Amino acid sequence: MIAFFRRQQVLFSSFFFLLLSVYIAASAATGRLKGDPVGPILLESMRPFQRVLKSVVEDVKDMRQGFRTLDSLWLENQELKGEIKKLQQEMEGLRETEATNLRLQKLLELKEQGFRSTVTATVIGNSASTWSRSLTINKGSRDGVRKGMAVVSAGGIVGQVVAVAPGSAKVLLLTDHNSGVDVIVQRTRARGIVSGSLERDPVMEYVTRNEEIREGDRLVTSGLDGVFPKGILVGQVSTVRKKTYGLFQEVEVQLAIDPSRIEEVLVVSTENDASKG
Amino acid sequence: MHPKASRGSVTASAYVEPQMKLFLLFLSVAFVFVLLQTTVLHLLPLGPVVPDLTLVLCVYWALNRPSVSTVLGSFLLGYSVDVFSSPVLGINAFAMSLVFLTVHLSSRHIWIRSPLFTTTIVFLAALVKVSAIVTLWSLFLVTRDIWSGLLKYIFFDALSAAVLAPVLFYFLSCGESRLERARKAP
Repeated sequence: MIAFFRRQQVLFSSFFFLLLSVYIAASAATGRLKGDPVGPILLESMRPFQRVLKSVVEDVKDMRQGFRTLDSLWLENQELKGEIKKLQQEMEGLRETEATNLRLQKLLELKEQGFRSTVTATVIGNSASTWSRSLTINKGSRDGVRKGMAVVSAGGIVGQVVAVAPGSAKVLLLTDHNSGVDVIVQRTRARGIVSGSLERDPVMEYVTRNEEIREGDRLVTSGLDGVFPKGILVGQVSTVRKKTYGLFQEVEVQLAIDPSRIEEVLVVSTENDASKG
Repeated sequence: MHPKASRGSVTASAYVEPQMKLFLLFLSVAFVFVLLQTTVLHLLPLGPVVPDLTLVLCVYWALNRPSVSTVLGSFLLGYSVDVFSSPVLGINAFAMSLVFLTVHLSSRHIWIRSPLFTTTIVFLAALVKVSAIVTLWSLFLVTRDIWSGLLKYIFFDALSAAVLAPVLFYFLSCGESRLERARKAP
């Protein structure tokens, strides 16, 4: 008997981990999984390496950009190559500083809009899977970030914090097909829910046929979902389709920002999640 | 010390040390793969497709090193992807464990080992993984409007992992044989 179990130990252990995974997924989906002992450790142990690798990637990008610039200058004027290269690099640095300054200034303006609490964070990691859209940020529970807090940027809504470690947090982007945000059309005050999609642009759902919605209409958060503060720009209507049947119309949304290109974000809390925490 | 006791401890350490080195090799590879997947690979010009290096490692283990440790390793690889990406824990862990089991059971009946075989098996494993993910999604999450997106990217997702598989398999087996040579060296 023991020999049989020993021979088939790979099979039995595989079945054990399959059942364990289903149990974890079921507990997590129904909210029964209160604490994840491994997740925060993984997030924390990866954080320094992610930061280093991210800065290396940025340096490589800068270098590539530098080489391109250098090449075009070499063609234009070989004699002034060195000087131009130096000036160009300085200019690149200044532009980068200026762009960062502008982004941070906009974040600051956003911060002053009167949110209950705000934490400024930098993006250090991206989604590891084709089938989900998420970010890792460099601020965690130590800095006041809690699960369920809204994440915004100067341009608009980014997503929601779904997991927190002491020094980092995972943000589920609005473009993920499991995301959703309660919105209103700024012009007509019609309500709906903007959710992500695997294949196309996010869509605004549950908009009844009698609502008058036009392409270009701006969508802002309603604040009624208890996660996102009211009045933050989500995007604008890109396509409206009314079929001859059904209760609702199909509305596609062009988000105000591309969440995959964001570098700094603001984690904000509403009254609701403050009372949760 | 008794001569027999001394010989026994030498034999044990001679067995444990290579195992430990192998464990460290796989641990570092797994760490690097997860790190690359979370930081660099999304920069490749493949749209939303992120090449699944962890899947390739899981298939490698199932084909070449099936044991309780590698079953646990596959589960943890999936769990790591869940921690960084999935809205619900356990989904990728389930998918990866299922991939391991499927590949392990299939490999008992397959005797060919070649780059083409590796590519094919990783491609099929990617399909198994996505099927497992979708099954758990439909059980525990909202799954409206996912089918067209799945069909659009499933092929490229599987292909990106399959194309990388022979190279990664080569480097992994090189690492293993280097450890083996170091062990045999006087």
